Amino acid sequence: MEDMAKIAFGLYTLIILGGSVLAVGAKSLVRAMVGLIATLLGVAGMYMLLNSPFMALMQILIYVGAISVLIFFAIMLTRADAGGEEAESAPLRQNLLSLLAVLSVGGILGWLVLTRPLATTGVPVEVSIEKLGLGLLGPYGLAFELISVVLLVSMAGAVLLAWERRNGK
Amino acid sequence: MSALTLYQLVALILLMAGLFGIAQRRSLVGMLISVELMLNGAGLSIVAASQLTPANAVLGQLGTLFVMGLAAAEATLVLAIIVVIARRFGTTKTSVVSTLKG
Repeated sequence: MEDMAKIAFGLYTLIILGGSVLAVGAKSLVRAMVGLIATLLGVAGMYMLLNSPFMALMQILIYVGAISVLIFFAIMLTRADAGGEEAESAPLRQNLLSLLAVLSVGGILGWLVLTRPLATTGVPVEVSIEKLGLGLLGPYGLAFELISVVLLVSMAGAVLLAWERRNGK
Repeated sequence: MSALTLYQLVALILLMAGLFGIAQRRSLVGMLISVELMLNGAGLSIVAASQLTPANAVLGQLGTLFVMGLAAAEATLVLAIIVVIARRFGTTKTSVVSTLKG
């Protein structure tokens, strides 16, 4: 069982690596989206490995189901055709500078993670969905209500921003 | 190397990929994709830290759920802003959209 988990972890890591390289490096934005979706599914697999199937399902439902469709709409509405927006790649100097910035941040954080190991329980904790629901209705009820307000406001704001005035100019 | 460290390293890879993308992409949609990568790294890190340590596991999972909700709200608003910019400038390249004049 332990070996199966290791194999699955390696597989998901490969999916995440390949997907994020495609999402960042692809010339066409649609291909970048396919890479992003692969990454999201890999992260959902990681949630499964962490013994939190509810989070995995929410990841697939919210990210793969809703957010990727939104971004596809953004690609379609801005008419970013296959070879258009990202066709000419960034100049080499900019690429090198971005790489330097990323490596400095990643180096510092990676050093911190590697040199300060936390005391861990070997096996992921099991949390039942009932406990999550009770948490949402009990101690974290305010955050739950606030996030629904945030979602409502952002939806209304999006409608307001993108509203095409008929009798205007 | 403990399992938690491995999960944190994967989350770090996601963060680095997103950071590189946001620095190097030349269109707004590409930058939005990179932001989603970074948010996923954050969620994975939170869930791993709460599931594999004696910390409050319910808090970790619900926190990641809230991160997902905020990501959905953010994607909605960014989509609207991108549509407005595309209508006004005719493109979403960041090099073109650099004027502050109204």
